[in-house]
Amino acid sequence: MDLGLQGKKAIVVGGARGIGYAVAEILAREGADTAISARGEDSVKDAVAALSRYGTKVVGKPVNVKRADEYKAWFEWAIEALEGVDVLVPLSSAGGGMGSEKYWHNAFETDVMGPVRAIEAVIPAMAAQKRGSIVLVATTSALEAMGGPQAYNAMKASLITYGKQLALAHGKDGIRVNVVSPGPIEFEGGNWDMIKGTMEKFYQSQLRQQPMGRLGKPEEVARAIVFLASEAASWCSGSHLVVDGAFTNRTHF
Amino acid sequence: MDQPVTHKPVTWDTSKMDVKRVVDVIRVSPEDNPSRTPVEKAPDPELGHEVIPAARYYSTEFMKLEWERVWSKVWLLGGRADDIPGPGDYICTEIGKESVLIVRQHDGSLRCFPNVCLHRGNRLRPEGIGNAQAFRCMYHHWTYGLDGKIERLPDRCTFPQGGPPGMTLPSLPVAEWNSFVWFSLNPEVEPFDDYIAPLKEHLEPYRPERMAWKRDVTVEWDCNWKASVDAFNETYHVQGIHPQLLWYLDDVNVQIDCYERHNRYLIPFAAISPRVAMPSTIPPAIDEIMRHAGMDPAEYEGRVSDIRRDVQLFKRANGKAQGKDYSALNDDQLTDDYHYMIFPNVALNVHADDIMLFRQRPHASDPNKMLYDVWVFELVPEGEPWPERAKHRRFKHGDRSIGQVLDQDAYNLPTVQAGMQSESFPGLWIGEQELRIRHFHKVLDDYIYGPGQKQAGDL
Repeated sequence: MDLGLQGKKAIVVGGARGIGYAVAEILAREGADTAISARGEDSVKDAVAALSRYGTKVVGKPVNVKRADEYKAWFEWAIEALEGVDVLVPLSSAGGGMGSEKYWHNAFETDVMGPVRAIEAVIPAMAAQKRGSIVLVATTSALEAMGGPQAYNAMKASLITYGKQLALAHGKDGIRVNVVSPGPIEFEGGNWDMIKGTMEKFYQSQLRQQPMGRLGKPEEVARAIVFLASEAASWCSGSHLVVDGAFTNRTHF
Repeated sequence: MDQPVTHKPVTWDTSKMDVKRVVDVIRVSPEDNPSRTPVEKAPDPELGHEVIPAARYYSTEFMKLEWERVWSKVWLLGGRADDIPGPGDYICTEIGKESVLIVRQHDGSLRCFPNVCLHRGNRLRPEGIGNAQAFRCMYHHWTYGLDGKIERLPDRCTFPQGGPPGMTLPSLPVAEWNSFVWFSLNPEVEPFDDYIAPLKEHLEPYRPERMAWKRDVTVEWDCNWKASVDAFNETYHVQGIHPQLLWYLDDVNVQIDCYERHNRYLIPFAAISPRVAMPSTIPPAIDEIMRHAGMDPAEYEGRVSDIRRDVQLFKRANGKAQGKDYSALNDDQLTDDYHYMIFPNVALNVHADDIMLFRQRPHASDPNKMLYDVWVFELVPEGEPWPERAKHRRFKHGDRSIGQVLDQDAYNLPTVQAGMQSESFPGLWIGEQELRIRHFHKVLDDYIYGPGQKQAGDL
């Protein structure tokens, strides 16, 4: 199956590590020119260097998505560097946390406004070319209890709603919008890597709840994201795909 | 021109260890150190690579030598001075087969006596702290004053030989320093100041007299006391038994300093071990450090790798307003673990806001057992009430949890003690990260056999 990504222009916000990096890697491997961002200069530099081995154009620059002006300028830079944009995967997240109201502000700014501002930045270019694909990344924590009541879960849930509405509104512009909700994903330097080391019992209890007896890997989510982002998914829009190895209990009617 | 002699804080090549990253730790330089606590790397002693004989951990002969040449000769930690502020307040503490009374006198000074009635040998007091107007033996009511003099000897006329010599308990050397009291079973012991050198300037800046008892626990551990000393004298075991601490401290970039008989290491805290990938979210234990300092981790905008330095800066800026005077400490001391080993048996993790101290005592007769005392003291902010003293608790190895980290430390010790007695195990195969273990055993050798006198074949 040809994904039709050859020569496409893709932007991955939060593309230096974890699922974001895996998305950027598959995009680059499939022939897409790719721009990535992350918070840290070093991590962006390392990721760009690693992604460049696939021979497509790969650019990157650090940005803090909470700084709206800086973030907007970053998109102008990225679209110019790629000479257009066909694919957007905004993955920024502030992570979890309870016990301070500040976590709500952080999650709103990073998990919600990060994608919202990214979408606003790419819609004009996508609408003008009547072609574009956006994949938002929520979480199974929006669907079922995980880690206690917290901003992360609730804010991520809003992306599922927003993604559907964007798909309805921008179909006429040739823009598809889909949402992927991953379950717990483990990778070096990720949260579950740290939880495995610092809260071993909790980690083991999660493993026991996993029908396949393990957590997911970034590339297992990334492949689903890239599929939805690609031409191969031309009739998928407004969909919400749970990628969790059957971890969640609910039936997704 | 001669090159200035410089000492790298870490002597091994961290890039060749089992690490994922090479980390350059920001440290206070000796030139910019405002604290009396030195930060200079002490030149490493040449201690060779010999095996440390396992038999010294279970041999009753060696245990006897230790008693004769170490325990009965050196200065020993007795307790906390704030437990005995007033006349008649006393600490009764045991070491091996001996028990002593450390007693506050009417003039504020301290005296120390063997805790034994000169009549028939009864112990005058059980172990613990208390207050007494006089020490009356529970057997025949011989009664000793706070100064150890026999005040009452019932029916004295029936002792035609008179009372015991001088009518007094023998006096033992006692010293009070830095909120702790020390004693020696050796009347000829060197002055305490000479013995503790050079640690006075190291430890006084922490001003532990501002810290209150938080925990006071004694556990009967099933191992030789030296197995416990060794367990806290290296950071190599962190990757083995404390996986959670890899997201709390840097167990690789550790500065080791060996002095004449004491030693220390400096461990960066609020740091991520180079053995694991740098996380993008704040680990739970470092979150705790930030909250304890008064920071809101949710507000933190920096990278996880910047937290250690930012906690230092925050405490420096806000300590005073929190009633915590850090002015005598350098920035590293505001986060890091300055971990000292006072020969022969005190390990103390000193921090700006607390001290966690372990006193490791030999069993009276069995080399395969010991007493492990955990003493924790916490800084009481100025203006806050002094908390009630933690109650002493005592139990057996593994009967109750003493906290996740110390449980992990305790877990292997009985099997270490058992394994060391295997005929297939000649002794400890010690690496560079365990230099303090080698140094401790060298100091022990010098006490047991005389300085540099240990011969091949000696335990």
